[in-house]
Amino acid sequence: MRVEYINPFVESAFNVMREVLQADVKRGDLYLKSTSMPVMGVAAIVGLAGDVEGRVLFDMDKPTALRIASAMNGEELTTMDDLAKATITELANMITAQAVTKLHELGFRFDLTPPAIFTGDNMEVSNQDVEALIVPMEAPQGKVEINVAIRERA
Amino acid sequence: MKTKEDFPSINERKPEGQRPDGTPFRVLVVDDSMFVAKQITQILTSEGYDVVGQAADGLLGLERYKELYPNVDLVTMDITMPNMDGITALQKIIEFDKNARVIMISALGKQDLVKQALLTGAKNYIVKPLDRKKVLERISHVLSK
Amino acid sequence: MSVQTAERPEAESTSARKERAEKIDFKMVTFSLAGKEYGIDIMNVKEIASAGRFTYVPNAAPFVRGVYNLRGDIISIIDLRTMFHLPAERKSDDALESLLILRVDDHVFGVIVDNIDKVVGVSSVAIQPPHPIFGDINVKYIKGIIENQGKLYIILNVEKLFAPKKEAEAPVPVLAHAGMPTAAPAPLENRDVTAIPVDSGDVNADFIRETLFAFKRFGVSAINERWFTERYTEWSSSRKATDIQLKEQTEADQFLETFYSACTGTLWTEEYADAVMSALPRIESRSINVWNPGCGKGYETYSLACALRRAYPDARIKIWANDSDLLAISMAPNMVFTAEGVPEMYLELMVKGKNGWTFQQTIRDSIFFEFHDVLNSNPIPPVDLILCRDTVSFLSAADQRKLVADFAEKTKHDGAVILGSNERMPEDSWNRSGGGATSVFVKKA
Repeated sequence: MRVEYINPFVESAFNVMREVLQADVKRGDLYLKSTSMPVMGVAAIVGLAGDVEGRVLFDMDKPTALRIASAMNGEELTTMDDLAKATITELANMITAQAVTKLHELGFRFDLTPPAIFTGDNMEVSNQDVEALIVPMEAPQGKVEINVAIRERA
Repeated sequence: MKTKEDFPSINERKPEGQRPDGTPFRVLVVDDSMFVAKQITQILTSEGYDVVGQAADGLLGLERYKELYPNVDLVTMDITMPNMDGITALQKIIEFDKNARVIMISALGKQDLVKQALLTGAKNYIVKPLDRKKVLERISHVLSK
Repeated sequence: MSVQTAERPEAESTSARKERAEKIDFKMVTFSLAGKEYGIDIMNVKEIASAGRFTYVPNAAPFVRGVYNLRGDIISIIDLRTMFHLPAERKSDDALESLLILRVDDHVFGVIVDNIDKVVGVSSVAIQPPHPIFGDINVKYIKGIIENQGKLYIILNVEKLFAPKKEAEAPVPVLAHAGMPTAAPAPLENRDVTAIPVDSGDVNADFIRETLFAFKRFGVSAINERWFTERYTEWSSSRKATDIQLKEQTEADQFLETFYSACTGTLWTEEYADAVMSALPRIESRSINVWNPGCGKGYETYSLACALRRAYPDARIKIWANDSDLLAISMAPNMVFTAEGVPEMYLELMVKGKNGWTFQQTIRDSIFFEFHDVLNSNPIPPVDLILCRDTVSFLSAADQRKLVADFAEKTKHDGAVILGSNERMPEDSWNRSGGGATSVFVKKA
């Protein structure tokens, strides 16, 4: 993944999570993962288009997703109902959009698609031929892995 | 016995969502996220605004506006939505009613997008995550014009 | 992009299911590690033993407790608790440990566990796929989970644990230590760290190969064998017989000092750049594509970009420069120089800014710096040229073969590869061009 793309994602994940969770968020070391990756239980995906193609995947386990959704709604949510899902999707949307905005300022033309959310056990999201950058984020509510796979359009 | 209401208070302020005559401003909220719609609605109703409609995409938003017209004072419009995006919906609403007051509320903050929205006729542009105070200030500012 | 969810087996009639469940077709030896129960396929278990006093082996991975003489065969002993970072009570050196002697392919070794329990027979259909929640161990080592008579067993995948390919985690196969009173040096087990069979008879050289990989991830192979042989001769003749081995990182660094290419970590000198350019075949296409894996901080990338720009002023140049060291490559796109020390030929292609000199936009636009692990897949178009200096050698021999094969695949039919000064492409499919410090190879027709 192009070096210039990395910081915008890292920064926006940090900024948005800190603001919506109103808490201290820590970032783990970045690393690379190749193709097929098991998913923790709740995955929100935002597609990317424009100068590049790819997607950003927000990966977390169910308890963390519920705690985050609860914090963002200001009330305790106990199941992954439509509201909880919409909340997690919106978090994914905001982080990706802020990164895309920053990238735009740097001269890169990215667009994003409306997000989608998947929940389940033993899921695997497979992309042919793509390597992903992992940005591990640690919030008081739990761990969220941001998984970015971007390919330059030929 | 005298109660609080009997004593005029210097600190008492009228909820922003009300007109001078006491009737609430009527707002249409257009966003594909249930969470964001709920968030905006909560912020608005807490200040006395009346949310008269919600739509989950640009096309539904346009239709709702036409149905509600002229009993709608303000529209909050998201940008990334399925079926019809916010900029197109904005354009069509302005075509239908050139005095429509639309405020864009989006997670995207790209400069050229903001410019395009304002040129097309949006009165203001708010970037998510939403800050309660900022949202209320901007809306109140647009309605006061 | 597809999303698959795990599916439950189809519902079958209860009697058919009961029949299947009763068929015992998987037997495992069960044991405990840090309070949890585990099992290993009995087909992999050669025998059970109780032993102590393992002979310590220097330069081995921390989980290798040592070696043991099992009725004449010298086998390595792995402490599974150390390997999986589990708490283990440290017994005295004389105390007996519970050992499982395992065989994977032709490889025999022993593992230390807390307690060996019994042989349990189960039905393979009852084995559940692994879930991270069940183990303290990385999921890839777990074949599955099964419940039997109230206990939950984690079935270990021994192939994954000890297969020759797994460099980082595989036990260092043991060469009989020179000081051991038993058998003559045993041949190096079949591992892919070195592609050269160990019939050199020189135990010292072999140990140095292993140490180089352990300390510096430098893999001696056909790519750099020539350099290694010369260097080893030089090294061992200049040291006392007892002092040849590389005992620590600094000595490994010293050994490798003569390996690195000319102009490493700096912009190429005019002579080196000229030598490289004249060794390269003329590129006919108007659109020049270059792949530069292992670009580090980017000095060689910029050097090549400038050299190509000068040689082909009308062509469109595109260089994909990768490195898996994020720190090194993240500064590359905005590299700043001070005018002193920069050869004139580069200054011509630079502009002065408030922080110093940077390359012109045309040069910068021709390079994509990417954070990328060269062993992962990479969808670049066919390239005219690959610049890969001192990178191939820092992989295991198996990965080196994979990468070299990738080079053949990704280059156009008349493509060329530039390796490090002491690296060579396989002669059967590549022709060397130029000489001296330039290592340019052109694909054979």
